[in-house]
Amino acid sequence: MLKYGFVGPALLLLIALNIFPLGYNIWLSFTNYDLSGGDVKSVGTRNYREVFNEPRYAAAIRTTALFVAAAVLIELVLGYALALALRGEFLGKGFVLTVLLVPMMLSPAVMGLFWHLIFKGDYGIFNQTLGAAGLPEPQWLTDPGLKLAACVIVDVWMWTPFMMLISLAALNSIPRHIYEAAEIDRAGAWTVFRRITLPLSAPLLLLAVLLRTTDALKQFDYVMVLTGPNDAATQTLSALLYQTSFGSFRVGLGTAYGFVVLVAVIAVATLFTRYLDRLQRSR
Amino acid sequence: MKIVRMALIALYFAVATLPLAWLVITSIKHRDDVISTDARVVPGVEFRPTLRAYAELNEPVKGKNHSFLHFLLNSALIALASTLASVALGTSCAYGFSRFRIAGARDWLFFILSTRFLPPLAVVVPVLLMFREFDLTNTRLGLILLYTSFNLSLSVWLMKGFIDEIPRAYEEAALVDGYSRMQAFARIIVPQAAGGMAVTAVFCLISAWNELGFAMTLNNDDAAKTVPPYFQGMIGKIEGLPWPQIAAGALLYVVPIVVFTVLVRKHLLRGMTFGTIKA
Amino acid sequence: MRNIVFALALAFAGCGDGGGSSGPGPGPGPAKDGPKAITIWWAQWAPADGLQELGRDFEKETGIKVTVHQTPWPDYQNQVNLEFGNRETKFDIVIGDSQWIGRGASKGLYIELTDWLKGAVDMSTVHPRAAKYLCEYPPGSGRYWAAPCETDAIGIAYRRDWFEDAKEKAAYKEKYKRDLAPPATYEEMRDIAEFFTRPADKRYGVSWLTGRGYDALTMGFEQVLYAFGGSWGDEKTFKVQGHINNDGAVAGLEYLKSMMKFSTPDGAKLDYGQCLEPFDNGSTAMLVNYFAFYPEISKKFGDKAGFCPMPKKGDRRFASLGGQGMSISAKAPKERQELARQFIKWFEQLKIQKEWIKKPAGFPANTDILKSEEFRKASPYNAAFADSVDILVDFWNVPVFGELLAPVQQYVGEAMDGKRSAKDALDAIATEHEEIFRKARENGDLPK
Repeated sequence: MLKYGFVGPALLLLIALNIFPLGYNIWLSFTNYDLSGGDVKSVGTRNYREVFNEPRYAAAIRTTALFVAAAVLIELVLGYALALALRGEFLGKGFVLTVLLVPMMLSPAVMGLFWHLIFKGDYGIFNQTLGAAGLPEPQWLTDPGLKLAACVIVDVWMWTPFMMLISLAALNSIPRHIYEAAEIDRAGAWTVFRRITLPLSAPLLLLAVLLRTTDALKQFDYVMVLTGPNDAATQTLSALLYQTSFGSFRVGLGTAYGFVVLVAVIAVATLFTRYLDRLQRSR
Repeated sequence: MKIVRMALIALYFAVATLPLAWLVITSIKHRDDVISTDARVVPGVEFRPTLRAYAELNEPVKGKNHSFLHFLLNSALIALASTLASVALGTSCAYGFSRFRIAGARDWLFFILSTRFLPPLAVVVPVLLMFREFDLTNTRLGLILLYTSFNLSLSVWLMKGFIDEIPRAYEEAALVDGYSRMQAFARIIVPQAAGGMAVTAVFCLISAWNELGFAMTLNNDDAAKTVPPYFQGMIGKIEGLPWPQIAAGALLYVVPIVVFTVLVRKHLLRGMTFGTIKA
Repeated sequence: MRNIVFALALAFAGCGDGGGSSGPGPGPGPAKDGPKAITIWWAQWAPADGLQELGRDFEKETGIKVTVHQTPWPDYQNQVNLEFGNRETKFDIVIGDSQWIGRGASKGLYIELTDWLKGAVDMSTVHPRAAKYLCEYPPGSGRYWAAPCETDAIGIAYRRDWFEDAKEKAAYKEKYKRDLAPPATYEEMRDIAEFFTRPADKRYGVSWLTGRGYDALTMGFEQVLYAFGGSWGDEKTFKVQGHINNDGAVAGLEYLKSMMKFSTPDGAKLDYGQCLEPFDNGSTAMLVNYFAFYPEISKKFGDKAGFCPMPKKGDRRFASLGGQGMSISAKAPKERQELARQFIKWFEQLKIQKEWIKKPAGFPANTDILKSEEFRKASPYNAAFADSVDILVDFWNVPVFGELLAPVQQYVGEAMDGKRSAKDALDAIATEHEEIFRKARENGDLPK
């Protein structure tokens, strides 16, 4: 009985604040609900048919997948590498760590604005620095090929600290004595990494990837500020949703998009958590 | 090997902090210097530094009664309360799932995780309608409840990850010694999990601190408005975007988070070393 | 554990006051007795402050309190729409974009003002273009849903000091065989922009409104579209093919794209505020933006800044409309609707309009004022503004305007970025617009 006391309050709050909106969302997706309210009519599955026929939808999926894959992968590699490097003690570690965490703490909406200033073609500091070094100055925000890259750069800058922090925690959780035993066995550095460090830090790492992926899928703030929600090169699913619900006022259709995204993410996450489970149990 | 490590850290440090440095420099410029076509980087040499942006932040926004400080206070209250709630509820929930057999645990945990999947944009309208029903719009309590709920998924999963690492032997020993389950939880688990709680708290705090979508939509007056929507208000100015003020505001806004992180950094850095005691 | 609970309790206690009430925010409650007061919603910018000041004057005269509630621009449209979803709106008057009129009228959000307006305001003093675009729906029907509040237009600000510099004048005359003067035609504008584009000195010819976020690019393009012979479509039949993608339209889009050569490197995506910066930092010769921004420019540059209306193509000259009109919420209590009518009538009086134009970025639609010499001389930009009101043109204001805006922003944007040819882009817009209109007609969203 006591166990329900531990899990109860959290679950109750989640149900109260999530089930109703979710249920309402599903209902809305079968209607023609307009942002200003008014008469609401059921339209059957018309919204969903529109979703699957809309070429922008397929494009948005591709753009989102590309963005998320690139961003999370870079963040994982960089974050983990940094954590490995920061593992030992050294002078000023606390300071370095704190400063490295700051990008993650800044408001994404405001930083989006700032990155816009940094990327600006003529007086943005990025290009001015490149120009001063004699390098070519790519037009980050107008060149169709570079816009998504610009968004990835901003995301990596902001969220690598997240991966780094969790990686650090993961690395720190590996018991010392395993390393000591390996030393006694004269294991080489690479073997130690491959056989001990990597596998033992994997579960928390994968969790971090899962969390970061689900967050990146929702990313909206800087896409909005850097290129607007309507730019074919960077229109992620969130941007498309925003455009549909708030630009075209078609909330019914927008929630249908949202629901399809939800189902897809649930499918992917299920596979992920099954894998995570297996990893846990095999330890 | 050590040199490679140091070099990597130094390189990343430099690259990552450049935009931050630029933020600081921008905040002490006059607006003209920000948009000038010449790069004006070195204070004193290439431009006249000024603290005007910070001063202007303290003035109430024209036509309204509140200055930056009011919104900052709202942000602080809401973020702190929701973080405390998330970490507390999340830790106890994670403990329950970690130590006890609960029917459908896997499904429950997945449900918890799934609350994170929906883009806020998709649920903004239903949540607004729900909040209107219960008179929670334009209140701090409403946002606290909402943010707590958002962060629970992160909190539960992270804490479960950390608590799973703590060997059961400790609590079991305590229970045998006559401690109640609650006492074992409080005296053994919580201190051991302090590192994890610190990490979780930092993330929850950041998430609530910077949340924009709901803060904007659920608040159409200033009573409970937080700082991110306040920044949005700077976008309409007919003189153009006030870059120095935005930079100053962004920097001031991040200070409390940095302070919090510094306060808990011992826990952040300590991590879990209990593993050494494992037999 | 105990400490955590204690801290939580403290935190929750801290949120009891202040943020607790969530009744109708600023302004009066729904109570029928109590002080007479109305709430106006507008976006957060300088003209709203000006309106609030006038509101205080109104209160002194009539005892009716006026509160102007400002919402940040990025969220304004959403907040207004969401508020309309309530049974009763917190606002009595909403100052809405010209585009919103179709939705307001056909979804029963705005009260129809037709009969009342004609009695309360001398409609002959409202400039016909302002009346058409800011007040009327369906187009040409004579039915009014808003009263003019802020009338705006796109025009050109230019560096008069550069134009009057003897050396520049001589060099220009030699190269182009014409005097250097504010552009009268689009060809002249192109020449001037080219002349002043000197990237090595970080000098550029023109900064044009081309933002991709909401509608800036559409507004920047619209006047060129019409001047070159294109249009959005037929107002009555909603036919789009042959209007948005005729030869004139294609030529217009190609012109705009070619002007990007004479702009800053990211000149093809400058939003409202960003568009100002190349001119503001002293590097650009001409600026194409709304007059609402020009009071500040004039204040900053003084004599160095000159202003003129958009140029001609042949004998066709157009300026994109901006601005918002005052509409009365159909979901406000009847007593407050009546008070709102009083305010609007008071505001539209000539003597109050004369006060309105003294407020920062307050622009009128009153023809008596616009035609007067006094107005034209009152500031460096007023004459150009007055001339611009005569040539106003606007985007669709039907209920589905949001859906229509998206493909324009996207495809014109792609043409500007070089991803599509101008013809392709306009054809794509035509196809999508026809589809949107077809669906709207099926749903009964279009006027009969």
